[in-house]
Amino acid sequence: MVRFKNRYVLCEVVSEDPRCRQCIEDRAVGLAVRDAIGRIHGDYGLACCSISFTVKYLNAYTGTVLLRCRKDSYRLLCSALPFVRQLESRGQRYPCCLRTLHVGGTIRTCQKFLIQYNRRQLLVLLQNCTNEEERQCIQKSLLSCSLTEEQSRSGDEEDDDGTETD
Amino acid sequence: MRNQPASVTLPAEPGPFPGGGSRGDVRSEQQYQQQKFSNQSSGPFYRREQCFQKGQNRGERGRGRGGWQGGRQNVSEEMPKYITVSTFAQARAAEISAMLKAVAQKSSNSLVFQTLPRHMRRRAMSHNIKRLPRRLQEMARKEAEKAVHQKKEQSKTKCRKARRRHINLVAEFNRRQRKNIWLETHIWHAKRFHMVKKWGYCLGDSPTEKSYRACYRAMTKHCLLQDLSYYCCLEVTGKENELLKQLARICSNDTGLTFEEASCLSGRFEGSLNLYRADHYPEGMLGPVTFIWKPRDGSENRQLWIWMHPALKQDILRELKAIFQCSEPEEIYMPEPVTTSMQEEEQIDVALSLGKKRKKEDKEGEKAVPVKKIIGDGTRDPFQSYSWISQATGIVISDRTMEILRYRLIGPLSHSVLTETLKAASLQTEMADSETELNNWWVENCKDSEKVSLHQRQTAIFELLEGLSSPSEMPPGTILGLTVGDPRVNLPKKKTKTMPDFEKYQDYDKVRQLYLEGVPVDCAHSFIWDQDICKNVTENKISEQDLNHMRAQLLVPGSHLDLGPCESKIPILLVQQPGKMAGEDRPGWGSGWDIYLPKGWGMAFWIPFIYRGVRVGGLQEALKHSEYQRIPHAPNDFPDCQAGMQFAKELETSLLENFKRRPPAKRANYVKLGTLSPFVCPWEQLTKNWEGRMKASGEFVPPSSPHPEHCAAEGHSLCDPTAEVVKEASSETGEVEETMEITSSEGVLKRGDVTGTQDFGERGETMTRSDFIVLRSEKLRMQLSAWCYPTAGKDRRIRLISRLGQKEMTEDVFLPILMSYPRALVWVNLSLLRKGNPELHAMICIPTEDDLLRLSKDKLFCGPQEPKHRDIFKEKVQKLKEEKKKKKDNMKALESDFPSVPDKETTEKHEDLILGLWSDTLPDVTSHCSRTLLGYVTRGDFSLAVGYGEAQGFVSLTGLVYMLRNQPADKKGLVLLRTPASFQYRFARLNIEV
Repeated sequence: MVRFKNRYVLCEVVSEDPRCRQCIEDRAVGLAVRDAIGRIHGDYGLACCSISFTVKYLNAYTGTVLLRCRKDSYRLLCSALPFVRQLESRGQRYPCCLRTLHVGGTIRTCQKFLIQYNRRQLLVLLQNCTNEEERQCIQKSLLSCSLTEEQSRSGDEEDDDGTETD
Repeated sequence: MRNQPASVTLPAEPGPFPGGGSRGDVRSEQQYQQQKFSNQSSGPFYRREQCFQKGQNRGERGRGRGGWQGGRQNVSEEMPKYITVSTFAQARAAEISAMLKAVAQKSSNSLVFQTLPRHMRRRAMSHNIKRLPRRLQEMARKEAEKAVHQKKEQSKTKCRKARRRHINLVAEFNRRQRKNIWLETHIWHAKRFHMVKKWGYCLGDSPTEKSYRACYRAMTKHCLLQDLSYYCCLEVTGKENELLKQLARICSNDTGLTFEEASCLSGRFEGSLNLYRADHYPEGMLGPVTFIWKPRDGSENRQLWIWMHPALKQDILRELKAIFQCSEPEEIYMPEPVTTSMQEEEQIDVALSLGKKRKKEDKEGEKAVPVKKIIGDGTRDPFQSYSWISQATGIVISDRTMEILRYRLIGPLSHSVLTETLKAASLQTEMADSETELNNWWVENCKDSEKVSLHQRQTAIFELLEGLSSPSEMPPGTILGLTVGDPRVNLPKKKTKTMPDFEKYQDYDKVRQLYLEGVPVDCAHSFIWDQDICKNVTENKISEQDLNHMRAQLLVPGSHLDLGPCESKIPILLVQQPGKMAGEDRPGWGSGWDIYLPKGWGMAFWIPFIYRGVRVGGLQEALKHSEYQRIPHAPNDFPDCQAGMQFAKELETSLLENFKRRPPAKRANYVKLGTLSPFVCPWEQLTKNWEGRMKASGEFVPPSSPHPEHCAAEGHSLCDPTAEVVKEASSETGEVEETMEITSSEGVLKRGDVTGTQDFGERGETMTRSDFIVLRSEKLRMQLSAWCYPTAGKDRRIRLISRLGQKEMTEDVFLPILMSYPRALVWVNLSLLRKGNPELHAMICIPTEDDLLRLSKDKLFCGPQEPKHRDIFKEKVQKLKEEKKKKKDNMKALESDFPSVPDKETTEKHEDLILGLWSDTLPDVTSHCSRTLLGYVTRGDFSLAVGYGEAQGFVSLTGLVYMLRNQPADKKGLVLLRTPASFQYRFARLNIEV
């Protein structure tokens, strides 16, 4: 079986301005990355990278972005990512930068990495708590994410049932 | 990939709190929590933020800024200087859960174990979940549960082993036999045949193997075996003259034999005849039967067996009961049914307990009562009597269905199969065992020297049979009674094909004497007539198991098993079947022997026959057998009796069902083809239309009876417009001539009516009940047959007519016939001249002069074409369809409160109108197409026997005479055939075989 192999780049949007969160959208991120590639690698690089280039997933609240490109040209993409300086959408422009967290061969590995990464962050947050209220709050959210595993499973089944009837 | 988490973006209007995002449940929860949080605590935010900063810094070195929210150095004034830990944490938690969900789900539609890399796969993973890696077991279990629902639910009652245990198997078979009667060879057939449920029996339709041609070859060259045990036997016992007096009422001399036929009455030959309702001949057909008289044996009571098809049984039984006034169920014969009822009750009990408690039943089974196999009719009600007696005359009618088995061997070598399989019973003078009743009748018989000599004579004749080259050499219907030994004993080791060995048998003189003189009367005697002996033989049969046991104990394995005095003696009856007697070609084709056995011995005789290399046929083969013999087959070809009508109705529904199952665009449009009724033959309409035609041309209506008047009027109204259409459609000169002919015959009719009126007037009244009759009078059929012969080359017809002693076809001969049978059908044979393969319900039409002219001129002329008809129903059907659709839409739109009432009407209407079928009452069937319709084919196929298409069917007598009159002498009997789904007419020769 022959298939097109892709690389998935998991990045985090780092911005000083919290309003930047509004700009985190598929289109805006995609444009910004393309722009950076174009600047760094020229038209040839842009063309190479834009084959099957998409933003597969993003989360505005955590600033996570998952990008996809062909395996052949992922180096071009990765090398261009640090040069993203700003995100622009709806006429607003906010400075930011992209931090690469993980480069994976499948979406699934990236998801697994993201789980680990987030969990680690939460644990670090918990360790550094200074006050009881915070501690409780973080513990609660930690618990919620581990609890939601089972809940989500039950949710899964419902979803499955729904698709079956369709 | 499926089921991936969607991207999460902020809502379009920037608000203080995130909310209303795409992922409903998580978001809303988060939002809710956030709100709660912000309301609760507004104080210590700063500290929290600090803490967060610290954590961030420590956690990830080299990260200059504190996440996406916290600006440490240059925070603009609009911004909050702190972030909430809770939102941060919750956002992460939400993402984790979303990702977890995505990861936990499988993405493709393959099963879990299919997604594993190859080196981790194990054998039978789908069967045993525990062979999977543990992390996947949960998912696999879920999948397995889903699959289980789709699987067929296993029967919970018993495991297979228990079900196949012999006792349970027999009980199950007995239960299943209660609904439909099984023949004794049922299991054998069920393994090899397509079974159908017909007439209350389970019968083999045709073999599952490809054997269409092989069965034909067996019929012509070797031997074809059929189980005809489903044929019903009615036994009539009484004084000879009493019986004959009443039986004469239900049959007629015209149709051939009667019960009084001297050779049959002596019991020497089997006879066949058609039964009619008492004093109703030629109407009120009941059906064809064969009959055997028991040879006279000194007592004044005679026994008569009447054998018939099960579809005809009820009618005939009712009629017999009526004419003999046998209304009361007889008590004398009760002991036999009572004992069987005891058995059956036991069986029922066992079967009941089977369903409830298996274990308990098993114990009982070990103790004693093994379930008995049902022998004979399993559907019979034990408390109902099956014989009836007349108080006045003492005549007893008993229903002996399934008491006597009947196998039919067809083919020239059937007698060698018989002689090889059966060995005459050896004489026995002392009992094998004084306790059992085994063979006690035979021992007693052997003491009588007269009977011994009879048995020896029978045996001698039976052995002479081997010298015959074909069963057809014997006089038709010869009966030979015999007592034979157990045929299982001399079973060959291997299945071999029997071949006659002429060298072994050299006594030609005796053989010649046999087929010149036939079997003497006294040799027709058999013990099978005696019910007690039959019962004894049935009950004392050595079981297969015992026999095998004895075989196993032989000193030399495989040597001949000699049972000595224990060997059962079975009385049988052999009856010769004459095969093809009518017509000129293939005389004696399909001849063979029928063998009558007492019940219970079915398989014991069946398997030895099979081992002699016979081929077994089912119902389809029986149909072909009669087709090649060109004789009508019961009940398909008896449209005037009740069973035939029933058969036609069933055939119509099944054909219609098949037709409707196709999409309308892929069906033949029979309206366009001009086929009025493709699925059923409208005999009544046909005969009525022909009568109307003659009346219309005669313009003479007898005033005495109102019925024909009405008919003639109808004929007028129907005929006239259509006749014009026909004239327009075909601009052939023949058409004009045809009409001329009709007018010329008017005068003739006028003259003829003077003599025929009275007769007709009488008939008109009775005619209202049964609308048509089938002409079976031998004399008339012979007459018609002679008229049908063409005078090609030598003057064959004249010769034939003179041979048959028939008159030339003149008006004063055929007019009385037409007058006395105004609505009659004639059974005819059609053989195609050139191309063509006739089918069921093909139409038989009269060729025009022009057709015949072209036929004689053009060697390659296959036949004329029917012009295309217009589908006058198409618009109606479409309109109805649209209306229905509209209504449906309306219903949907309105979601109406009263849905059923208008809908029903449309569906009812719609059911009447099927695209491609004539949905009105039929118009004049004879003149609907360009060629005048004469009749219909009831059976037609490519005949392997003659090598071209052949068909049998019925034509209207009136139409036939009309056609023959107008045809030139050398073209007599030429007709056109058209299959329902074709425009092409084909030429065929019509003849009547007598």
